[in-house]
Amino acid sequence: MTNTFQNLSVNLAELPEVKQSEFHGIEKKYLKVSLISRSLWFLALIVSAACIILFNDDIDKGVFEFGVSIGPILLFWVFSLGYAIKAFPRKRYSLREKDIIYTKGLLWQTRTSIPFNRIQHAEVKQGPIERMFSLHSLKVFTAGGDSSDLVIPGLEEENASRIKEYIMGKTALDGTDQQ
Amino acid sequence: MEQISSKFSQPSRQSRVAIAIILIKFIRFTIRTFWPIALSIFIGRKSGSSFQDIIGYVALGLAAFNLIGSVLTYFRFYFHIEDGAFVIDKGVLKRSKTNIPFERIQTINLQQNIVHQIFGVVSLEIDTAGAKKSEMTIDALKKEDAEALRQYILEEKDQLSEVAVTPDSTEQAVQESFEEDVILKLDIGDLIKIGVSQNHLRSMAILFAFVFSTLNEVTDSVSDMVEEQLSGYQEAILSNGWVVFAGSVVIVGIISFIYSLVNTVLKNYDLKLTTRKGGLRVIRGLLNKEEISINKSKVQNISWSDNPLRRAFKMYTIQIEQASSAQADQLKSKIKIPGSYMQQVKQILEIVFPKEFIAEGEKHKVSILLKYRIFVFSGVLPALVATSVAFYHLRNNGLWFLVWIPIIWLTTSLYYKKRSFELNDEMLTNNRGTFGNYHEIFQLYKVQAVSIKQSWYQRRKNLASVVFHTAAGSLRIPFIPLQQAEELENFVLYKVETDRRKWM
Repeated sequence: MTNTFQNLSVNLAELPEVKQSEFHGIEKKYLKVSLISRSLWFLALIVSAACIILFNDDIDKGVFEFGVSIGPILLFWVFSLGYAIKAFPRKRYSLREKDIIYTKGLLWQTRTSIPFNRIQHAEVKQGPIERMFSLHSLKVFTAGGDSSDLVIPGLEEENASRIKEYIMGKTALDGTDQQ
Repeated sequence: MEQISSKFSQPSRQSRVAIAIILIKFIRFTIRTFWPIALSIFIGRKSGSSFQDIIGYVALGLAAFNLIGSVLTYFRFYFHIEDGAFVIDKGVLKRSKTNIPFERIQTINLQQNIVHQIFGVVSLEIDTAGAKKSEMTIDALKKEDAEALRQYILEEKDQLSEVAVTPDSTEQAVQESFEEDVILKLDIGDLIKIGVSQNHLRSMAILFAFVFSTLNEVTDSVSDMVEEQLSGYQEAILSNGWVVFAGSVVIVGIISFIYSLVNTVLKNYDLKLTTRKGGLRVIRGLLNKEEISINKSKVQNISWSDNPLRRAFKMYTIQIEQASSAQADQLKSKIKIPGSYMQQVKQILEIVFPKEFIAEGEKHKVSILLKYRIFVFSGVLPALVATSVAFYHLRNNGLWFLVWIPIIWLTTSLYYKKRSFELNDEMLTNNRGTFGNYHEIFQLYKVQAVSIKQSWYQRRKNLASVVFHTAAGSLRIPFIPLQQAEELENFVLYKVETDRRKWM
């Protein structure tokens, strides 16, 4: 530890470190969910590109036209799936005594920590594709707006509601100072 | 005080002037919603009496609808005080009864627009915490009534919270002997100084945006219209291109200048910033007179900034941001007070934040790589692309685009020189700015969430950016050593988790 911040009353080296906390990965099944939802998105893109070519009289309907428009989309599709697979192990969460932490991203890595005493509420959600794999997402809201809200996807129902109960229990304990 | 509570204990209506004020609100709403249609009908009208009749009937219908609507709204609006709560019963088609307990009320603001001022009434706005619908407005109340009501509610609220919290006796003594101090008062001379040193480029942009969005709504393509209008003068324009250009620049400049000046004077006329129990109070405005109360505990961050023009007057603009419960009132929760000198900035900081922590601390720089990154990505690369394209078309004249590179180098250098942050046990100060200076300060324990972000480039250089999310927006410290970023993360989380003060 360097001593960059010398004017502080606590010794920074003695504080618990976020990166040292115990992180858990999310359910492996969620990788399928994210691959499917990405694929659906690209399929929609391809269909709309094809429709533009088919229904526009000014564009020839040759192999070249289809190749030029759909080829790059296919390429991005492959990239996107590859990225999703590579980035998947980075989606990890950690529960500490007083906060919840979530990390994500491969090229642009982000680690967000929310103290329990700043959580407004938490909810367990399930999208249509998640339902096929019986997975749930936990969404944690703060007063910091969308940018600081946390979504932990790919949790088993039992686990998701257990974490939610844990969080809400903690916020209720700390709620005395929040009106 | 008993008088007041008995006066408002029965459901009562607003002052009768409210009808006029609601009517104006209605008309404004109608005009804002329907003006593009009205205008297009007006422009596209054909001669022929039947068509004009229709327009007349439509206008009449709308007017009648507005009048009836506002009268009904007035008669279906009651408010009263009941068991330590403020109750509003209203609605014509959709009836609603809202019950706001005093302790949930954050602030009560009074506002007067020009109609209010003529009739000597005010509108009263009750801001509550937490709920999605965060505001209740009473359109018109007699001024004395409104002030009495506000005082009554705030005093009751204080008693309630004192019972609940029971603060130590010293604090109570301080509160009892509280007197309002005037921190800042702007006279017309100050206002002119502020108006003159406004960011005129920004008002220019606002004007342009306004004109273009308006034109866009009226005609489908602005360019067609411009072409049509100018086609007659085309030759004259082509031969006197520079004159026309310089002329329009001067005209636009003068208009923006007047716009910012008038805007400043209207908004901040007779501005008075005073202390009040638990915070600050701002009174200002000429046509639209407003009175805003700022709660100390609700303040999330304070920033003060200048620009090169303002520096000549040594004046700063202070912006106080409060926690906002709904997205909609985001603008209201940011209070800008122009024309304060450094001494007043200090005074405000000392009132809102704990005194002992307000002092300039050690400035921590961010990594020099930030400067190079910005220089490469917004200076060198765009300039090279633009130059190569321009060179292809314009030959040697295209090389002028290379001037962009030294310009960006200079501005980035200015920016980097000012980019730093200060940290102490209570708060963090973020310093930045290119031509002006911008400082923002917030209390660590009010942070809602902390993020550490690393791009692949930052990871290679062992750097990171830290983002602090507060209830009034995010603050970012970019490009600091990873270890320092993690220390900040750990420290701020520790501060938030151990502090039990109210953050809102």
